[in-house]
Formats: sequence, C-alpha cells, structure tokens
Amino acid sequence: MKTLSELHLDALTEVFNIGAGRAASSLSEIVGEEVKLSVPRLQLVQPADINMQTLALNSPRLGAVKQQFSGPFDADAMLLFTEERALEIVRDMMGSHISIEELAEYEQDAMCELGNIILNACLSAMADILKISFQSSLPRYVVDSSDVILRQIIKDTNLSIMLALHIDLTIEKHHTQGNLVFLLNSTSLQELIAHIDHFISGI
Amino acid sequence: MPPSIKTLLIVDDSRVSRMLIRAFVLASRPQWIIIEAASGAEALEVVGENRVDFCTMDINMPGMLGTDAAEQMISRHPKIRIAIFSGNIQDCQQSRAAALGAVFVAKPVTAKSVAQALEHFESIE
Amino acid sequence: MPPLIIKPDKQALPNDTIWQAIWDNVNLGLILVDQTGRVRQWNDWVAKRSGIPAKSAEGHTLESLFQDELNPPFKSALKNSLTHRLPVVLSNALHRSPLPLFPWPVTERQQTRIQQSIAITPLTGGADEHFCLIQITDTSISIKRERVLKLHSEQLSIDANTDALTGAHNRRYFDERYKIEFNRAQRQGTPLSLLMLDIDFFKDYNDNYGHPAGDKVLIAVVAAIKSQLNRATDVVTRYGGEEFAVILPDCEAPENHAMAEKLRRAVSNLNIPHCKSKITGTVTLSIGITTLECDAKCSADRLLETADTALYEAKHAGRNRVNYLGAAE
Repeated sequence: MKTLSELHLDALTEVFNIGAGRAASSLSEIVGEEVKLSVPRLQLVQPADINMQTLALNSPRLGAVKQQFSGPFDADAMLLFTEERALEIVRDMMGSHISIEELAEYEQDAMCELGNIILNACLSAMADILKISFQSSLPRYVVDSSDVILRQIIKDTNLSIMLALHIDLTIEKHHTQGNLVFLLNSTSLQELIAHIDHFISGI
Repeated sequence: MPPSIKTLLIVDDSRVSRMLIRAFVLASRPQWIIIEAASGAEALEVVGENRVDFCTMDINMPGMLGTDAAEQMISRHPKIRIAIFSGNIQDCQQSRAAALGAVFVAKPVTAKSVAQALEHFESIE
Repeated sequence: MPPLIIKPDKQALPNDTIWQAIWDNVNLGLILVDQTGRVRQWNDWVAKRSGIPAKSAEGHTLESLFQDELNPPFKSALKNSLTHRLPVVLSNALHRSPLPLFPWPVTERQQTRIQQSIAITPLTGGADEHFCLIQITDTSISIKRERVLKLHSEQLSIDANTDALTGAHNRRYFDERYKIEFNRAQRQGTPLSLLMLDIDFFKDYNDNYGHPAGDKVLIAVVAAIKSQLNRATDVVTRYGGEEFAVILPDCEAPENHAMAEKLRRAVSNLNIPHCKSKITGTVTLSIGITTLECDAKCSADRLLETADTALYEAKHAGRNRVNYLGAAE
C-alpha cells in the first residue's frame, strides 16, 4: 500500500494554502477588512495517534464544523476550534457591539458559514489543481466535550489516515488557531495518492 | 549571449509550485535559464551572484515574506521585473504588488497564470 | 384458514401539478438557477416577498433582477457554488438580509427586509445540466422568539432573586451576592461593610395593627433604606421576617457608621405610629455593623456572625440605635 511522500505532502500543502487564500478573501469580504489565513503545517496522523495533543487543541469542549464530501475519493472534513475560540471568532466577525449572550445564539449559524467557507475553499482548490470534482453535504456545527468529538473522529473503523492542517486565522488583529482535518479510509487514500501522482507526472 | 536568452528566478517554498512554473515557462521559452530559490533570503543571495532578468515570487514563505524580499530585490536591482504569485488574493496584497511595480498573479499556477507573468516580463521591452 | 393479507394498491407518484403545488406551498423561498446564473423558476413565496412574479423572473440573472440590492457576499457565494458545485450557506448572523425580500402580506408600516438564512445547493439535472437551488428561510420569527425567550429568562431570574412583598432582594440573592462581594474584597484588598437591620418591636406591631398593616411597614422601611443608598453596588436584601441586610462594598468603618445612621434616621423620620413600641411612639430600626478591613484575615461566616452580634448588642443597649463591632480575626 502506498503512502504519501514528501512531494505529495508538498503538493497538498500548496493546494491548501491556495484554498486558505481563497477563504481569507471571502472572509474579508464579509468582515470588511483584511483577514489572514494560512496553513503552515500539514501532518499525517495514524488513527492510533489521534488525540488532543496531535490536534494541539487543549480544551474540555470543542466546536466542529463538518462536511462530508464524495467524488473520485470520499472524505469527512472537519474544522475544529476550541469552544472559547469559536465564540471569539464569531464576535470578531460580527463586530464587538454584540453581547456575549447574543453571541451564543448566533454561534451555530455563524460557525457553519465560517466552516463552509474554509472547507469549500480547500476542496475547490484541490478540485481545480487535481482537475477533479466533488459533491458535498451542507455543513453541520456541533459543540461537545472534546472526548465525544474525538470519539466521532476515530469511530470509523475503516479510517486509514487523518490529514491534519493547523490553521492560523487572524481577524481584526485577533490571532486564532484551529485545525482542519480530513479523514480518509484506505481506498480514498490510495485514490488521493493516485490523483496527486497523476498531477505531478503531468508537470 | 543572444537577447532572447533570459534568466528567470523562481522563488517559492513549495517544490511542486517551482516545478509547475518551470514547466510552464520552458514550454513556451525553452531557451531560458531557470534558477530556483525556496526562500526570500535565498533569492536575495541568488540575485547578488547572478544576472537575473525576471523573478516570480511567492508571498507566504517561512522566514521573510515574499513582498519584503521583492522590495529589497528591486531597491538593489531595479531592472529585475517581478511577478508576485500568491493564493492570497485580497486587495491589500494586490496593491502592495502594484506599489512595487510588480504584477500580481493569483495562484494556482496554471498555463494561464504563468502567461500573465510572462506578458508582464516582456511588456515594455 | 390462511391469514388475510390486504395489500394496498401501489401509490402513484405525484404528478407535475402536485409537484408545482408543493413547490408553491412550502413555507420557504425556493429559487432554481441554471449554470449561467439565470433564474429557471422561483416559487410563490419568493414572488410574493420580492414583488416579482415567477414568469417575469424566468431567464434573468438575480443581479439584473435585483441590481444593487444584492449584497456582495451573496453574489460571491452564488458564483462559488455555480463554479465549484459545492453547497454554500449564508448565515443570518453575518448577513441579516442578503436579498431584497419584504414581509408578506404587505402592511402599511414601513417595510424592512426579511431576516434571512440561505442555503445554496448544487443539483444535477441529468445529462450535462447543472442547477443551483437557493433556499431562503425567514428567520425574523425565530429571532423575535429568541428575544422573547431571553426577556422571559431575564424576568425569571429577577423573580427568583426578589422578595415579592418589598421588592428588595431576597435571602437567596444575599447568600450568593455576599459570597461574591466577600471574595472580591479579599482578592482586591478592599474594605467591605455589612449592616444588619431589624425593625424594633415588629411582632408587637403586627399583633396590634394586623399583618396587612405590618406588610405596609416592611414596604415603607425598604423604600426608606433604598432612598438613602446611592451607589449601584450597594445591596439591600430582606434577610428574614423583619430583618434586613445591606452590603456596602468598598466602604470603610467611618463611612459605614454615617450610612447606618442615615438609614436609622430615615426610618425614624417616617413617623409611622407604633403605640406598642416601648421606646418611642413610632417605628424604629436597630442596626449592627461591621467592616472587613483591607488586611483582615476573617472568614465570610465570621463577618456575618459579627454583624449579627453587633445587632444583638444594639437591641440590648436600648434599640433605635447603631452599634459597631470590629471583625475579629
């Protein structure tokens, strides 16, 4: 079974950085000022090693935006933030005049949209570069204890690998970190590798 | 050296991006000499030691930002023509490129985006 | 005999007329655009709220139909969904009202746009035909509902912390608030004064004038106390029957003395006749005070006991007076 090489990872990192650039541009259109979004690190995590440390998220509660996508290969994509960070992001995006109580009401809605923008931007960058296309479900946002969210990630017994992208997001001078994870089963991983190989060999 | 032989410096931390730019450029300008650098600092070293005509510059790289490297490059070698390649397509990045006299090209690297850069390189001459 | 099995006839699928009726009857805005961004169809819901009949909209782009009224993020979202064929959501939280849609039926009042929540999903119509379905939910109602619920819960929390008769805070509120103020004072090293107040010979008043009259005295006393307190941080609570507690954060011994004296005088100035009072002919207060000094190492319970003891001493010393007792370590 093939696994991702350095060159594959380099190609994927570039794909996600282009996705991050597109997402930042959409977000800045909404908040009306510059938004910085970068994906400095891409990490491959084996199912046995998936825990809070590998995700670099230390909080009892997490917020997760999920989309399932399918196409030449299928994957579950999830954007993860600690709950406090998620609220801060929503406040930055909505403007500071909003009260904390109101924020909680809007969190669900606003986080779905934020996750949708980032996940779609990354998927569409991948689709453009690898010349493939995906279908996707609508985003869903869940807030739960970190254990529950982690269990949902690893419950799929076919899970072969997790691609974890550490995200740096800056809105209105506030710096936030989160994680974008793609969960792939072994068939999907092989398909992904084949598509990147095809792309690289075409250069 | 015949005038049609030009030297292009490709600055990008992604090896795949460098490969792509090189491939698209050589497809239409097979005689060009191509040098690669993986960071802003490396790029400045290269232009100190080699005659470089054109440069494609990524923005987000570890260490120095591409736009900062481009600024230093232009102040030392005003004749180099630069194309800023970036996935970050917000207005402020585009206006920064314009202020440097460079052209802004949106990633991904494609035949079309590389053609945009080439057009800028060869425009006034 | 074999069991009797009744098989229903296979139900026919709804025909086009039924689908059209469903399309026009859902309580949701539906717009179908093709891959060039032109409206193929929109339902009655959208026609009524935009004022543009479906027939007039067909074949036109949303930009040409609504012109500058569309917000830019909506345009980008639709473009992205058409180009990348991925579903997009626009939250009410971040966009409020992306489309110029107005409440229906139309009223005389000035019209403001409906609050909207939008989902755009790509559809494939067989062959090479692609569409996007735009679903618009009116969130004005749920926003209103949330606001009402919030008001309700605020009211409930006020009710849970208020003494229904006098409008002062209740004992439960005191217990919580006292803990908070005490901890704050200790953390920040600021003084905290505590006053315990008791109406003199109140049992005799009730016995003589009746409970309804007694209730009126309680109300008048609370009003008199409140009228003397001028900082938002000062807290008056009905501690028990005719006993009240006042928390004065950031208040040192000389000040609290003056404050207690003001409270005593305010009640005595009410001049409420009390013929069973053994000291004056009117309703009066006894007050015990203590202060948590900046550097004192005293527990919250100890401070409360001290204030109680101070009150007890004031009663013993003849009532209608203020008695101070320092908080013991």
